[in-house]
Amino acid sequence: MRAIVKDGIGVFTPQGFLDGDNSNAFVSIDDIEATLKLNVDMILVSLKKVIFFNRNGLDIFVKLFQKIKVNTNAKVGFCDYDLKKFNAINNFYKDEVSFSLFSSYQVATLFATNLKNKQQNVLLFNLDKSQRSAMAIELHDGGHNPIIAQTEEEFKKKKNLEKTYDIIIENTYLGQMGQNVATRVTGNAIIYTISAFLDAEIGNKFNIAYHNNSLNVGFRLFIFDAYKVISMNIHALNFFARLSTSAAEYNATICFVGLTFEKIQLSFKDTLEDAGIMFFDQMDDILENKKLLEELGASSAANGKLKRVLNKTIVTELPQFIEATVATIEMMTNSKALKDAAKIDKIVVNDTTDKIASSIGFYGDIDGMVILVFPKIIAKKACHLLVGEETDDIEQILDTLAELVNIVGGKIKTLLSNENINVNITLPRTYNKIDSLLETTQNRKGVQVDLSFSDDKFLFFLTR
Amino acid sequence: MITNEKINSFIEKIPPAPKALQVTIMLLNNGELTKAAQIAETDLALKSYLKSIVNKPIYGFRNEVSEVSQIFGILGVSSSQQTVYNYMITLLSPDEWSLFKLNATIFHELQARLSRKWKTILNHLDINDMDIESAITLLPASIIVADSLFGEKKNDVNLIRTTSDIDLNTILSRLCDNDLFDICEKISLKWEMPPKIAQIIQASSGNKPNDDDSINNLGKWMHLLLFYELSQPIFIDSELNDFIDFNIAYVNDIYEDFATLMEIS
Repeated sequence: MRAIVKDGIGVFTPQGFLDGDNSNAFVSIDDIEATLKLNVDMILVSLKKVIFFNRNGLDIFVKLFQKIKVNTNAKVGFCDYDLKKFNAINNFYKDEVSFSLFSSYQVATLFATNLKNKQQNVLLFNLDKSQRSAMAIELHDGGHNPIIAQTEEEFKKKKNLEKTYDIIIENTYLGQMGQNVATRVTGNAIIYTISAFLDAEIGNKFNIAYHNNSLNVGFRLFIFDAYKVISMNIHALNFFARLSTSAAEYNATICFVGLTFEKIQLSFKDTLEDAGIMFFDQMDDILENKKLLEELGASSAANGKLKRVLNKTIVTELPQFIEATVATIEMMTNSKALKDAAKIDKIVVNDTTDKIASSIGFYGDIDGMVILVFPKIIAKKACHLLVGEETDDIEQILDTLAELVNIVGGKIKTLLSNENINVNITLPRTYNKIDSLLETTQNRKGVQVDLSFSDDKFLFFLTR
Repeated sequence: MITNEKINSFIEKIPPAPKALQVTIMLLNNGELTKAAQIAETDLALKSYLKSIVNKPIYGFRNEVSEVSQIFGILGVSSSQQTVYNYMITLLSPDEWSLFKLNATIFHELQARLSRKWKTILNHLDINDMDIESAITLLPASIIVADSLFGEKKNDVNLIRTTSDIDLNTILSRLCDNDLFDICEKISLKWEMPPKIAQIIQASSGNKPNDDDSINNLGKWMHLLLFYELSQPIFIDSELNDFIDFNIAYVNDIYEDFATLMEIS
């Protein structure tokens, strides 16, 4: 069975009945490995379409979870269940629950490392005090505002307050968590949360591939939320200094927020400042200061790493990339594509009215970035397929666009893999305004292909 | 691209039911088992299908049954008609499946299991109606239609489904305003199957409840039965488990009854 992969979470959704005879058929170790290759940091089995399960059925998944945990830092567990199913699972496993339980997918996303959620007000309750605390810490690290109900009575009272909380967490259990550096995106800035004592392990916990690809797709401001850092040693210092130096190639800025030097040598601060890292006391000092954000590069993504040019390998694959893109959009919009023109130059968008864009990077044996510029009407058609309705809500349209580009990226990855070229894809980035896209791509040459879908002009641009 | 033109072309290409089949069904409708068997004997493919399906373990016969007259005699009028309709549906199935990992043997196994368990359900519900018994035969046509329409686009469909929780029925409905079950209904019209069959099949999709409570109830049982069978390892391996969405809320009120009947624990 294929997992649905979104925002770094892979979800398997078996349907019907789960028992010892069939669970093996639903998800195999090969399915898990294929999902892990998509850079997920959480693997879940959704129970929303399961009407019956028994212990034997779940045991097979639990054994798979254990194998995953031995080899990776991915979080594992079940999601999307009602109270009856939650009680049944707890009854089966009692005190030996080694996996996580998330009452819904939405709740699970709050605990994922690569999350896109904006800051959420979260009411949470768990009878187990240590679970309450663990959840609150994870949520806080993810940039949310956890509100803990200390008693069931308090929880019931607060739960009934309308519109006070974005999400309410109950019937949820955290297994092994906190293995990686939590990441979240705010506007065009990426925030990493680090805590406790920082040593050489930071190199393992920090997803450097994700960071590099964020640079490639145009992110220019990286903030380390360091309120809970107690101290760091020379290895961590060197790690951050190197990170900052490499970011400088892209004119990107790295900031630390909330780091105190009570237990850290002051000379470390000088070293980090020399490497270009900036220090702020409060997160709002950056995020609420639009002028500063602009200076630090979070409102613009211009001046990328210079002289990144196309090479022969990447251009050879071009027809396949275009075919992948065209086939996907044809499928999703049910319209036929016509190729109008192709050229190698800087990107040119003649008419930016009612256009939106999205980009996705790939890296590995070859590196590159695909940019798609859509008329809103095509994105709306794609919305209709994925969401079931056409909408004017720009957030929803951009989200759909991101999914569409993600599908294109997945297809490119598969096509290249057939040629024995292995790449990974980045998270997609969307642009509400073509101007900000043009800032990202300025000075970059690439292959531009103009296409028409039922008379709607569409642009494909491949660059490095 | 999957368009209404492609759907219409699929429907147009469906040949009318062979003459021998039409006569066999008409005679079965009139309760004339012997005459029906004589006509069925003349269609060698039908005869071979009947033999292969009723000798499956799920039919529970101790000795091999080989003559059509014997088969019809044992099955009785209703189940004979059901089995002949099952054969008609197989006429639509492709020589090689492209979307699903299926072959004729596995597809026939699904037909046999659905048919026998549907009979058990109807006995439990105290329903004795030939058309209702035959309704189950149209359900696997949705699988054939899905394979035919999406087979060429397998990779694209799979990619969409790795990023979005969307079933084939929904994709088709959003692209063409027609879903798999609408197409099944068109097939039933083309083959002049009784209208009640299409109504039950539409309800069994899980997302089109029927205003008639009795039809709707049968739709629920059929929807649950389908997913009971699609949860069997052989059909999960065939990638059938998630081709359409299982609507738990739709079947909740009959689940306990179903679980008792199927001895699920």
